[in-house]
Amino acid sequence: MTSVGRSFVEAAARLLARDEREAVIGDLVEAGESTWQGLLGVLGLVFRREATLWKSWRPWLAGFGVTLPSSFLLMGVSLSVSWSYLTLRCPELLQKSSLTLGSGTIVLLCKALLLIGWSWTGGFVVGSVSRRTLWASMALCYSPCLFCLSRFRVESLSRFCLFLFLLPAIWGVHQGLRISKMKLSWAIALAIAITVLMLPNWSSGAQHWWSPPRWTLNWALCWPAWYLVATARRAGAKAGWGSSDGLWSGGHREQQTGMS
Amino acid sequence: MLGEFEYLLITAAAGLGDDAYGAAIREAIESTTGRKCSIGALYTTIDRLETKGLLKTWMGEATQQRGGRAKRMVRVTSKGVMAAKDFYDAVTRVSRGASWVAKRTGSAS
Repeated sequence: MTSVGRSFVEAAARLLARDEREAVIGDLVEAGESTWQGLLGVLGLVFRREATLWKSWRPWLAGFGVTLPSSFLLMGVSLSVSWSYLTLRCPELLQKSSLTLGSGTIVLLCKALLLIGWSWTGGFVVGSVSRRTLWASMALCYSPCLFCLSRFRVESLSRFCLFLFLLPAIWGVHQGLRISKMKLSWAIALAIAITVLMLPNWSSGAQHWWSPPRWTLNWALCWPAWYLVATARRAGAKAGWGSSDGLWSGGHREQQTGMS
Repeated sequence: MLGEFEYLLITAAAGLGDDAYGAAIREAIESTTGRKCSIGALYTTIDRLETKGLLKTWMGEATQQRGGRAKRMVRVTSKGVMAAKDFYDAVTRVSRGASWVAKRTGSAS
């Protein structure tokens, strides 16, 4: 293997875990494999590793159960929050909407809190469930964003209004990657808060195509919060109730096993 | 029960004893079977067997021969030995009376 070839193989091996990379490159050098054979061997191992991850339900749940549907719905919610804010700032729009400044502010606050709650819990579930297949979840979020961006035709709002959900979602993913599970009491409080905030939306109809979806669709955004309750409850049952203090009950992610 | 490749890997590792690591096991399998053994198949099978508790692995020392890279050492556990023995017994039992076994016995005698 030439030095140039070896650098190619080492670059491909960066897709492997550190210890495995060390062992694999050493084996290839010891066996005197050619660059091409080495590259094929490393890429074959990377492919097998990735395929093994996708045998589990976790990346499928994170990608197609949370990221893809939530990205579409949360872009709608982001626009709705932006529209509510615009309504408050413009007296004519406020008059048309038959809202007072006070009630309009409460509606905006509810929607903004819901957006943050939905995005954060969705992101947390994606980060905690599919750490090593996060790239696929990111791609599944990216494609609906591009789709909606290309079809955005609202002159009074900036295109960036579509992406208000991204910040809390990324924060949620970051927390989900670091932390294993939420403490049960916090998970229940969060799920109840989100469900209660959804109540005013249950009876309201959509005014625009980007308005919050009907309440049945909102459940698609609500279930990550209840999933966190279910997983926190299971973790609590295993570890014993009240075994730890603070918001998080499971310690750091590295302590967990069997997570993809 | 073990798969065919799992059995080969455990048997090769057991035969190598304290010198069992990735490249040596691969070499042993290839020279015995005459078939190519890919790095991908080797390491994913080692991981699977370790998860089942049939192998134990750890990172060994780095050598000059390997460009200063460490080895992934492998040891067969007692559970692994039992699983390999079960596989071998099953293959031996099912092969009794097979034409190729009878021929081999006949030619040997």
